[in-house]
Amino acid sequence: MLRDRISSIAILGGGAAGWLAAATLARLLKPDFCAIRLIDCTPAAAEPISVTALPSFHRLNKLLGIGEQELMQRSGATFRLGVRFIDWSLTGADYFHSFGPLGSRFDALPFHHYWLRLQQSGLGGQLADYSIATVACRQGRFARPLADRQSVLSLYSYGYHFHAAALAACLRQYAQAHGVVGIERGVSEVRLHGEDGFVDEIRLDDGSSVRADLYIDCTGASGTAPASLPGQQVWRNPRIDWSHWLPCDRAIALPCAAGGEPPPYSQASAQSAGWRWQVPLQQCIDSGYAYASGFVSDDQATATLLSALPARALAEPRHLCLSPGRPTRFWERNWLTLSGSTLEPLESTGLHLVQTGITRLLALFPVRRFSPNDIEEYNRLTIMEHERIRDFLILHYKATTRDDSALWRYCAQMSIPDTLRAKIELFRSCGRVPLLEEEHFGEESWLSVLFGQELRPTDYDPLADVAGIDVVTAAFAQLRGAICNAVATLPMHARVLEQQCRTPVEGTL
Amino acid sequence: MSDRLRGIAIVGGGTAGWMAAAILARRLGQHFGPIQLIESPEIGTIGVGEATIPPIRLFNEALGVDECDFLRQTQGTIKLGIEFRNWARIGHCYFHPFGVHGTGLDQVALHQEWLRLHQLGEPGSFEDFSLNSLAARRGRVLDFGAEPHALRAVYSYAFHFDASLYAQYLRGYAQARGVRRIERKVLRVELRAEDGFIRALHLDDGTQIEADLFIDCSGFRGLLIEQALNTGYEDWTHWLPCDRAVAVACDSAAALTPYTRSTAHRAGWQWRIPLQHRIGNGYVYCSRFISDDEAAATLLANLDGKAQAEPRLLRFTTGRRKKFWNRNCIALGLAGGFLEPLESTSIHLIQKGLTHLLNLFPGRSCARVVADEFNRLAIAEYERIRDFIILHYKATTREDAPLWQYCANMQIPEALDYKIRQFRNSGRIVRYGGELFAASNWLAVLMGQQLWPEHYDPLMDQRDVAAVQANLRGVLRTIRQAVDAAPRHEDYLASHCR
Repeated sequence: MLRDRISSIAILGGGAAGWLAAATLARLLKPDFCAIRLIDCTPAAAEPISVTALPSFHRLNKLLGIGEQELMQRSGATFRLGVRFIDWSLTGADYFHSFGPLGSRFDALPFHHYWLRLQQSGLGGQLADYSIATVACRQGRFARPLADRQSVLSLYSYGYHFHAAALAACLRQYAQAHGVVGIERGVSEVRLHGEDGFVDEIRLDDGSSVRADLYIDCTGASGTAPASLPGQQVWRNPRIDWSHWLPCDRAIALPCAAGGEPPPYSQASAQSAGWRWQVPLQQCIDSGYAYASGFVSDDQATATLLSALPARALAEPRHLCLSPGRPTRFWERNWLTLSGSTLEPLESTGLHLVQTGITRLLALFPVRRFSPNDIEEYNRLTIMEHERIRDFLILHYKATTRDDSALWRYCAQMSIPDTLRAKIELFRSCGRVPLLEEEHFGEESWLSVLFGQELRPTDYDPLADVAGIDVVTAAFAQLRGAICNAVATLPMHARVLEQQCRTPVEGTL
Repeated sequence: MSDRLRGIAIVGGGTAGWMAAAILARRLGQHFGPIQLIESPEIGTIGVGEATIPPIRLFNEALGVDECDFLRQTQGTIKLGIEFRNWARIGHCYFHPFGVHGTGLDQVALHQEWLRLHQLGEPGSFEDFSLNSLAARRGRVLDFGAEPHALRAVYSYAFHFDASLYAQYLRGYAQARGVRRIERKVLRVELRAEDGFIRALHLDDGTQIEADLFIDCSGFRGLLIEQALNTGYEDWTHWLPCDRAVAVACDSAAALTPYTRSTAHRAGWQWRIPLQHRIGNGYVYCSRFISDDEAAATLLANLDGKAQAEPRLLRFTTGRRKKFWNRNCIALGLAGGFLEPLESTSIHLIQKGLTHLLNLFPGRSCARVVADEFNRLAIAEYERIRDFIILHYKATTREDAPLWQYCANMQIPEALDYKIRQFRNSGRIVRYGGELFAASNWLAVLMGQQLWPEHYDPLMDQRDVAAVQANLRGVLRTIRQAVDAAPRHEDYLASHCR
């Protein structure tokens, strides 16, 4: 037995992120091995209405062992095949980033090279017609993918839209059942040790305090820490600001009445000073506006949101803080920041980053004297991961021909990180996407957005010329037909929810 | 499209040249003009026996080559890993197996569990948890046939073969698919004035070969990439000081081992590569620390059987070309860079170069961004392999000779230093992008070279010791049973590949 092991963890911040971290840790750390407490200090009004999960959430859910049906019922969730982007590259543009490949592997090359070849002869039709998830989105249909790799119905994946407070409640119950102690208190002070600058204790607003070997900050941009941490001076761990690349720094959101059939996707519509979201939940629609405060006032932004609601507002708007950037070091001494949720929710990476942060912490689980090696490796990987997602988000803003407002003119002109520039240049040259270390979004996601934002390569892969044109044409027609027929057999998303996942009316929502 | 290639010329007919010719003929057919290979009749193929790593099987698959036929034609044998003698210290021996340790469940947990028990003083070697290691030690190879088997996922193998026969084999393959072989010397390389691209090769019969893309497989000298294009070379000799090798084939004496052996000597190390008909041997050494004659004498004194010829001397400078792809020229094999064959990566690097070329297949203009991406990938690959090889020299307690004293004290690349530090801290293996060798390979060599972590993964303490012991015993039992049932290497070859 190691003598100096971590035997207590304190998590700051409730909400879906905090309770997700608590639930995962509680599942993997036995209570007699490590005691976990969560200081639920995030005011409800600072929490988003919905949180969305990428397909990577399945791994977590499998680990926790909560059945999908139960999870969805309790969190008012709907299924999510992707995101629909409206008006991004130019007004009137409309595309999906859905969870699945464009086409299927054909011969030795990625599918889109053959599509580009066909386009030169005016053949091939729309690229989106070869993505089964996109076709299903358009028709509002959903079913879980099949395991049989021969079927086109295996060629996609899905995530979820959750009601944030309901998901948090569900995860809280799970965490508490696994021994996590929740403390509903505000934080008055984070105290550091004089000698080594480690966090010594967290003072709460009732005068009590919490001590632990390791502290995990899940408060995101909403508050308590890390900006107000006294240790920032001792630690010299300033935030690195990305707002010159990702200009949206505020958001407002409110729930609207659910009406009609919920689509199996969320929607992001570009606006003159940011973008509006609509996330379908079972009992309501989360409607929000992420905007750049340098380009629009809070009042104007609120007016814009209220003027375009999909249905009757069910509550007053909430004001949320976005904070594009990262701490210099995510892990500092005995303080770990899981701050992914402060990136804008454009590609729904908030929950995902909490999940990978916790997984990485477990993989590099420290001992109490906190070897700098564990911390360095955690930060190395986490920084790369965040920067890759940052690049992916920037692409949506950069690749635009909109010049109808100051924000978009700024974005079209702004300089971008070298890593992203290299990706765009290679894609434009030959249709390839170089993937870097710790890249969450794979080639298919990059291609969806690159093509979706109307970028086109000057040439496709010359090897796509090796196959006979009629072979390619026939394979394309066959695939398009197969997708079309297969999607037609899928039930409507609303029916699936109705039959399998309906939240009881007496639920807490 | 107007930018499509209208011809490819390959210079050099060794392993690299014929590998390129074979896979290009297979994938391109006649779509991008003729594929021509120019080889000088006077230059022989280097290497008396070539050892490979498992991805070679993917290359064979891509060519559609039958494994048994290939082994028959090249006097090939099966390779399960490498035995390292006298590396950590004189008299010490460890095995670097292919495949992964354990029986396919939780690999991270397996080695951490083992570290924990080891700290508790439990005996047993980590090597025993590798199916490949145990099979190799007992001279056996596994033959799963077409059956699904739980251990398939942890077992892996590559080949030893005669490099000259391999080149001949691929030559037959390529020529049958339309590659034109020209047995001539290149006298002059003509560049285009406007952009410095290679325009044509002038041969010693007065003819010239034009092409849009040139593949330089001319060996160390880099006839195109260096002599014509002055690309520049990055020298790594300060990390890998060996700069010569002396090689000779000898008669086989004992049973056919299914692994390569590397024995550290005072000024370098000796390879032993068993083929069906003989054994390939060589001594890679640093000329600062031993004379050529002494090196040859050491080699001849350490052979299994009678030497079949006079030892041949090779000179090299470890390092890489500053760019592997420059203008319309791509350098493969020794023309691109040299890493000593300690981990049998030479053929793999050729193979990867060809994979990247086919993934980034250019037009006539050889767009700069495409070449840059090729170079980014190739440089990362070379550097990660370089680091893996340096590890063998660095992590040693040998102090018996100047070479080993130098290595123990030398500065190493930051990426490797970081990896070693992380391992020493917690037994964890850092992985970088584009890295060939996996965690199991690094573990085998780090632990084989006798590096030990300060502590194991603290989460291991959550597990019940008795359950961990039972788990590890179960793994050993499963591996032992599989090896008991496996055929002897000789018998396997006799029934399949002779």
